[in-house]
Amino acid sequence: MRILVADDEMMSRKLLLKTLERAGYEVTAVENGRLAAEQLCLPDGPRLALLDWVMPELDGPGVCREVRKTKHQSYVYMVLLTSKESKEDVVAGLESGADDYLIKPFDPEELKARLRTGLRILNLEDRLIEAREEMRFQATHDGLTSLWNRGVIMDLLGRELARSRREHVSTAILMCDLDHFKSVNDTYGHVTGDDVLKETAKRLLASVRSYDFVGRYGGEEFLIVLNNCKPAFAFARAEEICKAISQKPMPSSSGPIPITMSLGLLLSQEWGFRPVEELLHEADVALYAAKAAGRNCVKLASPTMPSLAPEPQEQEHIRMRR
Amino acid sequence: MPNAIIDLAELLARVENDHGLMRELLLIFKDEFPGHLQALRDAVDSMDGDRVTAEAHTLKGMLSNLAATSAADAAARLEQLGQNREISKFQEACSVFESVSKDLLLQLDACMAEVHG
Repeated sequence: MRILVADDEMMSRKLLLKTLERAGYEVTAVENGRLAAEQLCLPDGPRLALLDWVMPELDGPGVCREVRKTKHQSYVYMVLLTSKESKEDVVAGLESGADDYLIKPFDPEELKARLRTGLRILNLEDRLIEAREEMRFQATHDGLTSLWNRGVIMDLLGRELARSRREHVSTAILMCDLDHFKSVNDTYGHVTGDDVLKETAKRLLASVRSYDFVGRYGGEEFLIVLNNCKPAFAFARAEEICKAISQKPMPSSSGPIPITMSLGLLLSQEWGFRPVEELLHEADVALYAAKAAGRNCVKLASPTMPSLAPEPQEQEHIRMRR
Repeated sequence: MPNAIIDLAELLARVENDHGLMRELLLIFKDEFPGHLQALRDAVDSMDGDRVTAEAHTLKGMLSNLAATSAADAAARLEQLGQNREISKFQEACSVFESVSKDLLLQLDACMAEVHG
C-alpha cells in the first residue's frame, strides 16, 4: 500500500519513512503541505497520508481541505500528526477533513494500528465500488453474453445516429439473427443453445472495431452499430461478420455445431432524418429479405426498394420460425 | 557527566531497536540542531515573536523525536511564550533552553560513541 508522509522536519520524516517501510508500506515523503496536496490530488495518488499539522506553504488541515475539495474517484484516508493536544485543535483538525490524528512523538505500534484502521476503511470502500460497478454492469449488459442489453444498445444507436447527422457521416445498422436457432435448442437443449449464443457474441465482438457497438436485441437477435462507416465498405464488413459466424462450427457442450446468421444492413445516410424505431424496422425488413433469400447472407435496406415487409402478425409468425 | 537528557531506552523503542536508524537520527540532529539553535537565539534577540514560535516549534519536534523530554519541554515553553507575545520572558527562557541544550550535546557525543561502538 502506498502512503504519503508530509513533514518539514527531517528527523520526523526519516523516522516515519523507516517505520512505515518496515511495516510494508511504499512511502513517498515530502517536506511541505503544498507538495503533499499535489500528490494526494493526483488521480492515481496515494490513498493513505500522514500529515504534520504545522508545515510551510500549507499546513496539515489545509492539505485535508484541498484534498476533500477534489472530486476523487477513491477516498484518501488522512491522519494528522500533531503536538497540539487541546480539544479545540483536535476538533479543528477533524473538521478540516482529517480522518484521525496522532499525538507526536508517536508510538510505532499505535501508528501502525491507526493505519490499519485506515486500510480497513479503504478496503471497505473498494468493496463498495466493486459492488456498484457490478450492479452497473448488470444493469447495462446482457446476463448471458455480456453484450450491451437491448435498452442500452438502442440508446447508443440513437446517440450515434444524432452524431452521424451532425458530422455528416454514415452509421451502419446491422440487424442480425441466427438461422434455425430454435432447432439448436430443440435438438441439443438450452444449455447448448446458450453456448452458441455466447460464442456468437464472442465472434461478433471480434469482428468489429473497438468503438463499434454490439448488443443482444432479443433471444437470438443481435444489433450491431458500426460508427462512421463509409457506405462503400459497409456491405463488405457485414459479409465478413456473416462469415465469422459460419466459417467454423461453434464449440458447445454438445460438440461443434454449424451455425449461420442472416443480416439486414441499413446505412443511415441513405435514409435521412428518420426515427430510430423506423430505421430498425427497415433493417428488420432487410433481415427478413435475407431469410427469404436462403439465409446466411446480408441484404441491404434501400429506401428505393419496395418493402417486402410482411404484416405485423405475419412478422411475428416468421420470427417464431427463425 | 552531564544530566541524562536523552532517554536512550525510549529512543530505542521509538526506532524499534534499529541501531542504524538511531545513528541516522543522531547524525541528522547533530547536523541540524546548531543552525536552529542559532536561529532561535537570533529571533529572541530581535524579539520576533513569530520566529521564536516557529523555531521553538521545530526544535521541540526534533527533541521529542530524540526522546529528550526536558529539552523538548524547554522548547515548548519558548513556543508558548512566542505565541503569547511574552517578549520580556524570551531571554530567560532561552537561557534555560541553551543550558539544557549544552548538556544534551555532551550526551549526544556519548550516545554516538556508544552506537558506533
